[in-house]
Amino acid sequence: MEKILLKNIDKPESHKIESYIKNGGYNAVREALKLGPDDIIQRVKDSGIRGRGGAGFPTGLKWSFIPKDPTLDKYLCCNADEGEPGTFKDRAIMDNDPHLLLEGMMITSYAIGAAVGYIYIRGEFEFGAKRLEAAIDEAYREGYLGKNIFGSEFSLDMYVHRGAGAYICGEETALLESLEGGRGQPRKKPPFPALAGLYGKPTVINNVETLACVPAIIEKGVEWFKSTGTEKSPGPKIFGVSGHVKKPGLYELPMGTTLRELIYEHCGGMRSDKPLKAVIPGGVSAPLLVPEDLDTTMDFEAMGAKGTMLGSGAVIVMEEGTCMVKVAYITNRFFSHESCGKCTPCREGTIWITKILKRLEEDRGRPGDIDLLEELCGNIFGRTFCPLGDGAVMALRGAITHFRDEFLNHAAHKGCTA
Amino acid sequence: MATVIINGKTSSVKDGTLILDAARDAGVEIPTFCYQADLMGVGSCRMCLVEIEGQKKLQPSCITPVMDGMSIQTETPQILKARQGVLEFFLSNHALDCPVCDKGGECELQDMVYKHGPVEGRYAESKHRFHEKDYILSPVIVKNSNRCVQCLRCVRVCDEVVGRNVLASLGRGHEQEETSFLRSRLDCDHCGNCIEVCPVGCFMRLPYRYKSRPWDLKGTDTICPYCATGCRMVVEERDGEALRARAQIGVGINSETLCARGRFGFDFINDPRRLTTPLVKKFGKLEPATWSEALDFISEKLSGIEGERIGGLASPVLTNEELYSFQKLMRSTLGSPNIDSSTRWDPVVVENYIAASAMTSGGLSVFDAAEADTLFVAGTQLSDENPIVDYIARRISAERGTRIIVASVRDMKLDSSAGLSIRHLPGGLGALMKAAALSLYESKKDKLQGFAGVERFEGLSADVLLGEAGVSSDELAAITKRFETSATVALTAGTDLLRQSCGILALGLLSDVLKALGKEVLILPILDRANQRGAWEMGVLPGLAPGYRTASKRGLGTKEMIEAAAAGGIDAMYVIGEDPVGENPSGVSAFDALSKLSFILVQDTFLTDTAAMADCVLPGAFPAEKDGTFTNQEGRVQAMRRLKAPPGDARAYLAIIASVSGVLSSTTGVCTKTNSMQVFNEIRKEAPAYAGVSLEFNNRKNKLNKLDNREALAGASEGGFTPVAMTSCAPAAEQRGEGEFYLITGNTLFHSGRLSHSSPTLTGLQKGAALELSEADASALGLSSGEEARVQGNDYEVTLPVRLRKGMRDGVVYIPEFFPGVSVERFFTTGVSLPVVKVKKS
Repeated sequence: MEKILLKNIDKPESHKIESYIKNGGYNAVREALKLGPDDIIQRVKDSGIRGRGGAGFPTGLKWSFIPKDPTLDKYLCCNADEGEPGTFKDRAIMDNDPHLLLEGMMITSYAIGAAVGYIYIRGEFEFGAKRLEAAIDEAYREGYLGKNIFGSEFSLDMYVHRGAGAYICGEETALLESLEGGRGQPRKKPPFPALAGLYGKPTVINNVETLACVPAIIEKGVEWFKSTGTEKSPGPKIFGVSGHVKKPGLYELPMGTTLRELIYEHCGGMRSDKPLKAVIPGGVSAPLLVPEDLDTTMDFEAMGAKGTMLGSGAVIVMEEGTCMVKVAYITNRFFSHESCGKCTPCREGTIWITKILKRLEEDRGRPGDIDLLEELCGNIFGRTFCPLGDGAVMALRGAITHFRDEFLNHAAHKGCTA
Repeated sequence: MATVIINGKTSSVKDGTLILDAARDAGVEIPTFCYQADLMGVGSCRMCLVEIEGQKKLQPSCITPVMDGMSIQTETPQILKARQGVLEFFLSNHALDCPVCDKGGECELQDMVYKHGPVEGRYAESKHRFHEKDYILSPVIVKNSNRCVQCLRCVRVCDEVVGRNVLASLGRGHEQEETSFLRSRLDCDHCGNCIEVCPVGCFMRLPYRYKSRPWDLKGTDTICPYCATGCRMVVEERDGEALRARAQIGVGINSETLCARGRFGFDFINDPRRLTTPLVKKFGKLEPATWSEALDFISEKLSGIEGERIGGLASPVLTNEELYSFQKLMRSTLGSPNIDSSTRWDPVVVENYIAASAMTSGGLSVFDAAEADTLFVAGTQLSDENPIVDYIARRISAERGTRIIVASVRDMKLDSSAGLSIRHLPGGLGALMKAAALSLYESKKDKLQGFAGVERFEGLSADVLLGEAGVSSDELAAITKRFETSATVALTAGTDLLRQSCGILALGLLSDVLKALGKEVLILPILDRANQRGAWEMGVLPGLAPGYRTASKRGLGTKEMIEAAAAGGIDAMYVIGEDPVGENPSGVSAFDALSKLSFILVQDTFLTDTAAMADCVLPGAFPAEKDGTFTNQEGRVQAMRRLKAPPGDARAYLAIIASVSGVLSSTTGVCTKTNSMQVFNEIRKEAPAYAGVSLEFNNRKNKLNKLDNREALAGASEGGFTPVAMTSCAPAAEQRGEGEFYLITGNTLFHSGRLSHSSPTLTGLQKGAALELSEADASALGLSSGEEARVQGNDYEVTLPVRLRKGMRDGVVYIPEFFPGVSVERFFTTGVSLPVVKVKKS
């Protein structure tokens, strides 16, 4: 398969504009400027591309919600707050091929009528932020950003904004709140950002990988894009594999690749040839899968049908011998630490669950702990303000469903039986 | 309109109504924590989740608007379980120290758990503790974060209503704490609204701490006695001691809000120095006496004095009934036309102010003013003097986009909500309004052919006016542009207009021009004494009888009475609740003048300077110790109720006036009514504007939070009166020389009038007066904050600590009114409204 997302990252000086142009960069945006906004939106719609940040919302549809009123200011925000544990795909693009993201943002801004684009980058990505800033400087220098780009009427300014270290700011409304200088907490929806987003203006928020797909859709065409992947989840996807495999890393593969192929062919199989115990297929919010599920295809529909989700495509592979109570504890500790504090169930519930799991993990369980955990999950799920609490619950529920005995053994002070 | 089905019952509500409000309308109660009427919805507590047909997830009813045809369930097993779940989460890290919590017994969390909560706790982990001991956030606020339920009402009220932003959330997740930065007080207003909105015992009032349980308190509805906003509040006592004052959501124009004076300033009522028995002067010394001894003494002394040689002065913090009876006693029983209700304002200026601010045409709701397209706040330091009007303006302008223009000499809190803030020269407000009127007139001259009173523009020049106002032509253009693009314009008429009478004529001119341009003009008087408007409407003015009718005979005003006393023109004075000697408003020494009188009768609650030199002193009662009504600045007539008896032998002023009237005149007995309702019914007849006023609403909690009880607004006064023409508008300030400053005065956030200085809490918040001046002036004088400066002028001198103020105009100093030991009135010369003083480093 021809790579489009990771095609440049191994080339020398791949982050420089010269290298990007040499490899055919910035042609798509020239072409896009000839097409006109409506045409671009239509093409993106036709391509069927779905958001790569985790929710899988059709990108073209999202863009089409933006009001056409030319007197309204509009904004594009790139969600580069890649914070889901196990996910490291956007980072590779920003560190090594920043101009791909910039080109995608230029086309998107033109399509939706935005004159300003923001890249909200995770605070810890200092290197990536520097690379992006350098890339933006290069683009201004070449006249690719600023006033009247390529002699057209289109003008665009772009800024990098570094987050302050909160997972919740990956949620789009919390991202906007943080970008405006407020406290990183989600806003109520509706109104959706497409109508009232940044500074109350229509705003599109897209993931880095999504925006990086846009130049290829314009340049290579809709049909080309749809030729990879599945019917409902077309195109290529970066899978970031970590855990107990021989070759962890980033793999750009068609949507719909099976887990088995990913782990045993591309990643070279299990690290110490122990049997596989569990796989988290899409970042820690996604309920885990077990060996029986290895032939499931990695796309939004098939993962959904298995009760889990494709998420960001961050695959965490665990071998036999891994303590699932510890996995659950570490995961929930993350969520309770990152809970923003806005709504009651998530704020109070995740920390309660974490405290119970910590006891279990330390063999200080009590009778009824597992039932209590499940009840608490029920009191959180579907009751929270944003999906953070839901994610925490889904992950824990998955672990308890598949490995109940392990949890019960911990609760009964029998030690870890993994 | 949208049709909704709530629990199977169909009802029709306005589009965009929140599900919560629609349910409450339909009589279905949904429990909430973070929801607070008038604050922006956040939907974070998840108590109010409801089931909507066709939606998988439960939805928060406090932020979800209804849709036509929506079917909503509020009591399904799933919802009840969700509520239990949320309450269990609240309790998991809640301190649960109810036995030592001040909120115990009136805590929303207690009530909610009792009603909806789990019966058993399952949380067996360690609780998160923010701190071990409660900490003090301000001299009146104490904080315990371990009890917090994170509803953020405190943060939102501080931001959206009070406009201070002292409180915010620090930390994240379960470590999130609502407090001030570094737990310091910063620029807190000490208003305690965070305490009022807190559903649990997280914010508590320090003065009330550990004093009582709510069920041991007895409370009654009353009205705040400080400014003329007319905030309704409940004062609560235990064993005869008034312990706290609180506001109630949905009651009064203030709803749950009060300012520091209202919430914490009520403790003057417990002052041990209060008068408890009548005093009669025997051998040059005031001695305790019985009521009958005192009344006999009064009868003996007063009956020998001719009516016209008696002066009467009553405080504008008396009730309408007391003021009405007093003027009747003066005019009918004693036959004296000399009556006034202020030591500060000139009666002629007051008459012109009443006419210019359209008070004769009846009440104007502050909500109408705040909902105008443009609100021009002028002549008042609104944020300090009438804080609740500032809250209302801030909240409504954020909600509806009212454009606020602030025109003042000093900066004020409302600036942050104002699109335009103008700093004019002291005494320059009249010139500024004239310039605005002139500019509007000139730009639309063709449309304004035949404008009545065009001669008022004669000789006016924009440049000269702008020079007098100290305002640039760009600023003027910004003001007029806002006026031009507004359909309704609200103008405030603050007390500075009473100090600098030029502004009154300018206000009339500006209002006339705006009306001629087809705009609706609303004029909102902003006054600083609780019943000042009531006092005028009851005819406690030398030229006006009750109901704004011209008095049959014009008498003397306060200053004239004092001058007459000095010159032997009057023989006796009857003073209720005022202290002319302490305030010394006249050019002559009030002490020397009053010493010449043969008889002084004082009714007061404290032994004031005037009372100390009186021949007879009768002990009176405060609000909460008597029934009656106040008319606030809007013209809203509101009733208050008696909570407890006044201390010792003290009596309500109304009863005292009746007794005095009884002993003076056995035949007529005209004002011997002691029941305030009877007197009010008489007022309804004498002042037809009050005929239709309803006092009903006042003690009824309004479920839908409609704060605006228009049936309480006074109607238009019939007949009307023509004010005595002001001989000349007060002259513009004399030019100031080197080292000289213009002096301005007014109230502060914590003190207005004498009353607040008897409140230990308010004195704790601000003890002494300070001289405020700009940073540039201070550095030119070599002064820094806290150092002392000597202020001299008009043969008076005072030494004050200095406070630097950003946003103050250079060349201006400010000294607050009515601080003990600082008679700022002494700097004012009769006829000169803007004194010039010298300031030196002390």
